[in-house]
Amino acid sequence: MTDRRAFLSGMLAAGLCPQTTWAEAGSPDFLSAGLRPNGSYVLCGLNGNGEIVFELPLPDRGHAAAAHPTRAEAVAFARRPGTFALVIDCATGRETARLHAPADRHFYGHGTFSDDGDTLFTTENDYESGEGIIGIWDARNGYQRIGEFFSGGTGPHDMKLMPDGQTLAVANGGIETHPEAGRTKLNIPTMQPNLSYVSMSGEVVERIELDQALRKNSIRHLAVAPDGTLAFAMQWQGDVVAHPPLLGLHRRGSKEILLEPPDRYLKRLVGYVGSVAISKAMDFVAATSPRGGVVHMYATDTGDLLSQIEIEDVCGVAQTSVDFFLTSGLGKTFQNVLTGEKKTTEHAIKWDNHLIPV
Amino acid sequence: MRACFSAVAIFLAVPALAETPDIGTIVDGHVLPGYRLLETEAMDLANAAASDCAPTSEGLRDAYHDAFDAWVGVSHLRFGPSETEDRSFALAFWPDPRGSTPKTLGGLISAQDPVIETPEDFATVSVAVRGFYALEFLLFDPQFAGDGIADYRCALLQAVTLDISANASAILDGWENGYGALMSNPGNDTYRTATEAAQQFFTALSTGLEFTSDTRLARPLGTFDRPRPNRAEARRSGRSLRHVVLSLEATRALAALLSEGDAEVDAAFQSALRRATDLDDPVFEGVADPGKRFKVEALRQDIVSTRRLLLEGLGPRLGITAGFNSLDGD
Repeated sequence: MTDRRAFLSGMLAAGLCPQTTWAEAGSPDFLSAGLRPNGSYVLCGLNGNGEIVFELPLPDRGHAAAAHPTRAEAVAFARRPGTFALVIDCATGRETARLHAPADRHFYGHGTFSDDGDTLFTTENDYESGEGIIGIWDARNGYQRIGEFFSGGTGPHDMKLMPDGQTLAVANGGIETHPEAGRTKLNIPTMQPNLSYVSMSGEVVERIELDQALRKNSIRHLAVAPDGTLAFAMQWQGDVVAHPPLLGLHRRGSKEILLEPPDRYLKRLVGYVGSVAISKAMDFVAATSPRGGVVHMYATDTGDLLSQIEIEDVCGVAQTSVDFFLTSGLGKTFQNVLTGEKKTTEHAIKWDNHLIPV
Repeated sequence: MRACFSAVAIFLAVPALAETPDIGTIVDGHVLPGYRLLETEAMDLANAAASDCAPTSEGLRDAYHDAFDAWVGVSHLRFGPSETEDRSFALAFWPDPRGSTPKTLGGLISAQDPVIETPEDFATVSVAVRGFYALEFLLFDPQFAGDGIADYRCALLQAVTLDISANASAILDGWENGYGALMSNPGNDTYRTATEAAQQFFTALSTGLEFTSDTRLARPLGTFDRPRPNRAEARRSGRSLRHVVLSLEATRALAALLSEGDAEVDAAFQSALRRATDLDDPVFEGVADPGKRFKVEALRQDIVSTRRLLLEGLGPRLGITAGFNSLDGD
């Protein structure tokens, strides 16, 4: 009887919320949060031609989003330390569910779906203990919270599903914050970031920590290639005199490789990489520094810097079929930056930190 | 494909067009005097604790206030020597949302931990029990006022004040013997141009104002339904509002040097300062009073708009774009 009731209510839910596909939402290639000229916030779908295919209001400043693998459904996270996330049907523009962080938790602004789209994982802060948490939500069932586990460190920020579909790569930035202390960083002298690979059951299966000299290099953003190569981008919290490497590559079971361009180029990143992406053919890594106003492009195999391109307030970056797509806080989008056919499109919307591939 | 990509040229940095204020004047007229005062006051504080370590000692409390004032006057200059070896954290561990300072102090005292016996050992203990905020607990919190712990507390007070003094001297030494010259005479590995040095000062100015609005004020403000007056900074010694005033005065002076006397900028600071000095609410108790709360909120707003004015007006003049991402990334 219970089973039958559950089945029926499932049918009912499916009937009330017909599942729309990304094609019905205008076939966006990317999602990005943004700021309109009137001061309101939006979540937009963009295609590879730099056109906005949908523009949906958000109640507050967004950060990253997670795109459902099949349904035209986006989870838009409020910016750190937000306590809610919206699930939006991108075809109808309707909010279909809302995630509320449990007591003593807030979101960090990133999350990812499981391969089948049934489960959503979110990075969170247990701010009374200072431990990083991965929240688990049932995407089949109105996004009920169904569990959580330790992220493997403090201050988890970005998180990616590995190509095996079984492991989450988590950038534990190491920085402790507390909502009552605003955005003040509470533990810089003792911070200890790491990159953790965590199984779906919450077991830390591998953990990478950089040398002690790089302890203040907060590992924050990730990109993963189909062959399991992970690119990690960092933000330096130490003295401005130092110009440590801010990018690394890692493959499970081997030692990480830090990308160290000549000093004068490294300095242009101003200790801060905002986003990172790996090209579709896995041969290039792109990293943006809005503070330096530059994009760096590296060869994945040699780790060499290939190109430094100046774009004011650039931050969002994602792969396209042969190149990278970039967004800036001044409202521009850029395509074919590498191949020399650079096309710039200007929008009235200022693009926020991240560009999420659909 | 590879050849095509590799052929993309690496462009050289194009120096931004910027007006550059006189960095030497800022170092010599703003930074060094501030840190010299801190060194002197911190030394006086250590001497006061050495001669009378009773928490109620007037001489010790006066010296505490003077030295803390001097620290707040430079607390916006958090880069370079103050960040080496985490000195600024060791001087000022706040905010402390989980109450690490009283907890860790209590632990040292109940264990009668001998780690406080030498400055070298004491420099290895948690930053939560070092610096001005730990000292405030020892001098003003009833939890640590008992006669039963007088001997250990005395030794601990002396260790904390000596450590403050050593850190203050180390920061000043860093500025006087190297770092100040890197900024005043750019063209080195740290500061390639005077513009870069100006940008560093601008960042310090902006971050300092943000700390005052978003932490010193927003923390006790909490929400209308749930104000948090107990979270006011240094409330045990009645210094919360004083810190807002002192840091506004210090950042006003830096803003005047960076903007070369911009009248609009100075007027914004003056308005915020007038509101602060008119407030008559030393530890922001008014945040819990619906009739008075708006005054604290209005002060916070004044500081937010002063910062915005700087970001939109002065920043671009120094070659810093007020970018959506560059100013406020994550």
